[in-house]
Amino acid sequence: MKRMITVTINGEEQELAVEPYRSLLDTLRVEAGLTGSKKGCNVGDCGACTVILDGRPVNSCLVLAAEVDNCDVRTIEGLQHAPDRVHALQDNFMQYGAAQCGFCTPGILIMGKALLDENPDPTEDEIRFALAGNICRCTGYTKIIEAIRHTARQLAEERQGVES
Amino acid sequence: MNASVIDTTAKGAVETEGRDGRGEDDGTIGRSVKRQDLLEKATGHAKFAGDIVLPGMLHGKIKRSDVAHARIRRIDTSKALALPGVKAVLTHENVPRVLHYGSPHPRSASVTRDQYIFDNKVRYWGEGIAAVAAISEEIAEEALDLIEVEYEELPAVFTLDEATAADAPQVHDRGPGGNQVIDPIRVSRGDVDSGFAEADLILEGEFEFGRPTACYMEPNICVSQWDGNDKLTMWSSTQTAFMVRGILAEVLGVPLNRVRVLVDHMGGGFGAKQDLFQHEFLCALLARETRRPVRMEFSRKETFLGGRSRHPGTMYLKQGFRRDGTITARQARITLNTGAYGSHGPGVTTVGTTALTSLYRCNNVDLEGRCIYTNTPIAGAFRGYGVVQVYYGLDIQLDEAAEALGMDPVELKLRNAVREGDLAPSGHPIIGHGLEDCLRRGAEEVNWGPVRQATRNQDGVYRRGWGVGCEMHGSSAYPGIKEQGNATVKMNEDGTVTLLTGAAGLGTGAHTALAQIVAEELGVAFEDVSVVHGDTDIVPWDIGAFASHTTFMVGRAAQQAAADIRQQLLAQAALRLERDAADLAVRRGRIVAVDGSGSSLSVREAVSPTPGIPAAHLIANGTYTPTKSYSFAAHFVEVEVDTETGQIRVLQVVPVHEFGKVIHPVAAAGQIEGGIQQGIGHTLSEDYVVDTSNGRSLNAGFVDYKMPLAMDMPPIRTIMLETAPDPGGPFGAKGIGEDPIIAIGPAIANAVYDAIGVRFHCYPITPERVINALAGTD
Repeated sequence: MKRMITVTINGEEQELAVEPYRSLLDTLRVEAGLTGSKKGCNVGDCGACTVILDGRPVNSCLVLAAEVDNCDVRTIEGLQHAPDRVHALQDNFMQYGAAQCGFCTPGILIMGKALLDENPDPTEDEIRFALAGNICRCTGYTKIIEAIRHTARQLAEERQGVES
Repeated sequence: MNASVIDTTAKGAVETEGRDGRGEDDGTIGRSVKRQDLLEKATGHAKFAGDIVLPGMLHGKIKRSDVAHARIRRIDTSKALALPGVKAVLTHENVPRVLHYGSPHPRSASVTRDQYIFDNKVRYWGEGIAAVAAISEEIAEEALDLIEVEYEELPAVFTLDEATAADAPQVHDRGPGGNQVIDPIRVSRGDVDSGFAEADLILEGEFEFGRPTACYMEPNICVSQWDGNDKLTMWSSTQTAFMVRGILAEVLGVPLNRVRVLVDHMGGGFGAKQDLFQHEFLCALLARETRRPVRMEFSRKETFLGGRSRHPGTMYLKQGFRRDGTITARQARITLNTGAYGSHGPGVTTVGTTALTSLYRCNNVDLEGRCIYTNTPIAGAFRGYGVVQVYYGLDIQLDEAAEALGMDPVELKLRNAVREGDLAPSGHPIIGHGLEDCLRRGAEEVNWGPVRQATRNQDGVYRRGWGVGCEMHGSSAYPGIKEQGNATVKMNEDGTVTLLTGAAGLGTGAHTALAQIVAEELGVAFEDVSVVHGDTDIVPWDIGAFASHTTFMVGRAAQQAAADIRQQLLAQAALRLERDAADLAVRRGRIVAVDGSGSSLSVREAVSPTPGIPAAHLIANGTYTPTKSYSFAAHFVEVEVDTETGQIRVLQVVPVHEFGKVIHPVAAAGQIEGGIQQGIGHTLSEDYVVDTSNGRSLNAGFVDYKMPLAMDMPPIRTIMLETAPDPGGPFGAKGIGEDPIIAIGPAIANAVYDAIGVRFHCYPITPERVINALAGTD
């Protein structure tokens, strides 16, 4: 028996009819048509489905859609500022070659965003700890960490620029 | 040494010193241009096969066996079929019974026809025995439980010892007997007996290899749809779209032009997505039977059960050395466990066995490789293809010899390193001195002598060690397969260029490298070249993305096609400039006279329609049939061993690679860093474990199968050399993909020995093994 939920996805309020057993990940991918979040394991091990739920990063495969009634969800599709203006993290992932196959990339970008929202100046160890639940099999993480560190520096400079 | 060191750490900045004297603005080769696939990947818009949604699409699921070896006596699908929402059920009783290859390489001698879509027999725990299509995944799963199966269990073999014992139960009724997939591969050269007689030191060792798996992030997935003209379209996550098309057509009994395979982006493959898998047949058949699109996606567990691992196995290795370090003889017996089906087993066995003819020079070799069936999950192709295993043992034994001879390991390896003119495993002469260059550069970079000295006489709980490992790897699968790279290049009437290639995009950045090659050859901007790929109806035939050959082989084909277009373009420009085409050249998007005289034209002006001259239609094909080139590497590694817990941490890696010519430094370095990550995993923690009492998989998931993650990965300081360019590759470039996963293993094992004085002849070197070894030796 489906039930209706109201959820804000990437800033847009939507009403969705969901099965009680349906995960947030499947709901985003199938009902909302947002296929950027990926299913790498469906049991919370790989982090490819990471989204920001009411300000906190979660594995969307482990959240039931029915739980997110009246919640705010941000997915990879909602990371860029405008269709022609990507987030600094996205820009740096491209510049640094921090993505290869690209399957883990949406989850890692979202985790990177959640990290920088909470800790704008993370150390390398803090970045590695934040990514502990995100499996990347292509890159060895080297360039991902470089890209996140550089983004943090860039955003800090922008903030200083605004203050001065 | 004419090395150009390439900085790969900062936004693709490249040290141009020594790089042909070219400035930053000249050409695109060697520059880390913006990869063409990353914007859509970074924004979530890249379409993977699993993102395809079609109206009326059904969901397919596979029922897997819970016994390891059995005859299916009865299989009853009536209850499953009666479940509302179930549209079709397939078993061995209603699918085409066509014996087919698992490893779909035409023109290869080393493939084995030993699989059916479904057989009336089960050969390993987890093998698919039935498939269901239903209106939802949940209903399909429920239906699987309603299928009743009655087995007649058969005696099974799970280990190499069991499978090769006299009177062992046979996994297949084919092959030369003794559960062998093929006759043993034998390679001999010179006379090992006299070689050993000359030796001052003889070392023998037994090595044992675990069962790592690729663990690509995107589980195997395909979507099938038959149109009204009885043509199949399949979206699949595969490295070998044309091979999938070929086997599907053969088994379905339709011509090739009625099967279209599409693959846009794929979430990694690492070699393991180059078989034709059960679900690809089943998806096509379920879609044909139901006349509706069907989607079949592996769960993560199924990527273990139904996927392909690296071959576990054993190796006996014996080598003779003179007092000065020269190797006088090498003898090896390699036995690889291919699991329940041949897949790439014969190829892996051949490549691994012949690899032992090289790396370290030796005139007297006697090698034998065997490939054995067992009732365990299927081993197949995986980055490093047999070479990972044998060079692990070979390089560790060199380290042992260095100690026994009182030599430094770098010195011993330099003395024996394969070099210019030596015969490579393929039978070709080696070009250049890549291996020596890598060893010397790495030793200098890490300050090898002093850092090794600093690890003497440690007695704390944490002990550090340095090790070095070496490798070489061929680009292309020659001579096992006579391959062919193809490319079509078109110039549009605005001067932009479209490259059509069949090479799959695994995520390595190969398409960007191909576009760079075309731009460079044509003299136009990289941004003006776009790449079309992943549609077997449109792009030229391709054997698949594997064997480190895409940039090398398809790159050369693309270069040839671009050179052809350049000639056509100059002919067009000659018409407009009223000059001889031979006097013209393309420079940075403009057609100019070689001697600088007269007027020039932009490329666009040369092909656009003008009054009296229609738009030019420029199209050219390139085909390249490669032989082989070899890339080299030496990896220098520092580890720390916790002698109380047995935990090994890799503290830093300095990989030095020689690639001939680096097309895109950041992408190339990304290959190295990712290969090292997988290699560290294989060496220290990754092992897909099969219960040897019943064949059950014990760790088919990411919690129990432990890969190195962000917190485990050490800093990697990559150095790439261009000291031995290959005349067969585009601009001298050679392969990259497989090299980085090979040298890291022995480098770690040798560093562990340096730290704690214990030799490990196996991988993974788990904490348990370390603790047990320390207890035995303390």
